[in-house]
Amino acid sequence: MGEMEQLRKEADSLKDQITAARKAVQDTTLQEAVAEIPAVGRVQLKTRKTLRGHLAKIYAMHWGADSTLCVSASQDGKLIVWDSISTNKVNAIPLKSSWVMTCAYAPSGNLVACGGLDNMCSIYNLKGKDGNVKVMRELAAHTGYLSCCRFLSDTEIITSSGDCTCVLWDIETGTQKTVFAGHQGDCMSLAVSPDFKFFISGACDFTAKLWDIREEQCRQTFGGHESDINAIGVRMRKISPALLHQSSMQACFPHHFSFFQFFPNGNAVITGSDDATCKLHDLRADQDLLTYQDSSIMCGVTSLAPSLSGRLILAGYDDFNVNIWDTLKSERVGVLAGHDNRVSCIGVSSDGMACCTGSWDSFLKIWN
Amino acid sequence: MQARTSRRRRPCSVAWPRMSSKAQSSNNLAHARRTVQQLRIEASIERIKVSKASADLMNYCSEHARNDPLLMGIPASDNPFKDKKPCNIL
Repeated sequence: MGEMEQLRKEADSLKDQITAARKAVQDTTLQEAVAEIPAVGRVQLKTRKTLRGHLAKIYAMHWGADSTLCVSASQDGKLIVWDSISTNKVNAIPLKSSWVMTCAYAPSGNLVACGGLDNMCSIYNLKGKDGNVKVMRELAAHTGYLSCCRFLSDTEIITSSGDCTCVLWDIETGTQKTVFAGHQGDCMSLAVSPDFKFFISGACDFTAKLWDIREEQCRQTFGGHESDINAIGVRMRKISPALLHQSSMQACFPHHFSFFQFFPNGNAVITGSDDATCKLHDLRADQDLLTYQDSSIMCGVTSLAPSLSGRLILAGYDDFNVNIWDTLKSERVGVLAGHDNRVSCIGVSSDGMACCTGSWDSFLKIWN
Repeated sequence: MQARTSRRRRPCSVAWPRMSSKAQSSNNLAHARRTVQQLRIEASIERIKVSKASADLMNYCSEHARNDPLLMGIPASDNPFKDKKPCNIL
């Protein structure tokens, strides 16, 4: 038997083992386990602030750690840092490239980052000596668009890219510390665990991968499913960048993860998909526990965020609304309607006091 | 997408698989080996029972529920985002 054939056999056997191991721990379902606990009542949040100033679609937003400042990125070629309470623009940063797809706020509040079709992650120092916000670093090495970025600290940032890799960067030297390769399709999104030890990447190969940052290893793969030896050399159809930016941002594949966030204790991940569902995936049981869906919802999930306790999931959809789900009972408990176009991004502040939505209608709204 | 000229960088810990049309078959073998290696790692992880996973999720939610402003509601006086209108007594 050739080595290739042997490897194929071993791969099949290992996949069967994984399937069996997941089944073996199914002593109940989350649905059964939560049967006795009371459902969350109706959740009604109001728009408290509208942040006006962008001149085109908003693609991304991220709260600062102080729960007051937030950064947004728009197709108008600007990053704006907002004071969400006063609605003042603290910084309006013009970008070299208006094709921006993601932005991030460093936990320290000193830096923001963004990137997109320029294949780069640009780091801006908000606290420069002369008060001007300048590009501090341009992290360039990806051979595909930058879909997401998240700071670990002022010296490290993780990026995900259409080149199918994620990278951990040393910001000071502008170099790659680790390349996380293994996805067979464009990496669309990433989320860092609350303890900063792991991150999850989701890609157009229908899978999400859990990576140990310091061990530089993929610990788990879930979703679509695992890479297929028979599919070597067949990349998933690359998305035309212009099409990506102008249209749905979520590509043309059904069932792939458009967005996800860690559940607050770091043991589970909430994923959202083009197929109009969200799912709760437990990392230690290594399987999906619940699906959040409703027959009346037929459009893709664009973004989501858990509330502080994790009991609520706020998810943005293509139909301009945000649906609020009871995480444990998988019932819809509220709707936020107020945007005139797709909700492209959503975030809950770290003290849990407010939810911010960003939309293709060019506005951000603060709700609580 | 145009390939970028490689910049000088520190050696990366995870090799980035280069797609070379010349070495297609040995590339396939290398990919197959990597795939099996990865599957071995994933097959060997310890999995906890769904009952334990569920209990831990429920406990986390209930422990933190009372501190979850969006869940519990925020009194107007404590809500920094709520516009405070002065009360005029007529």
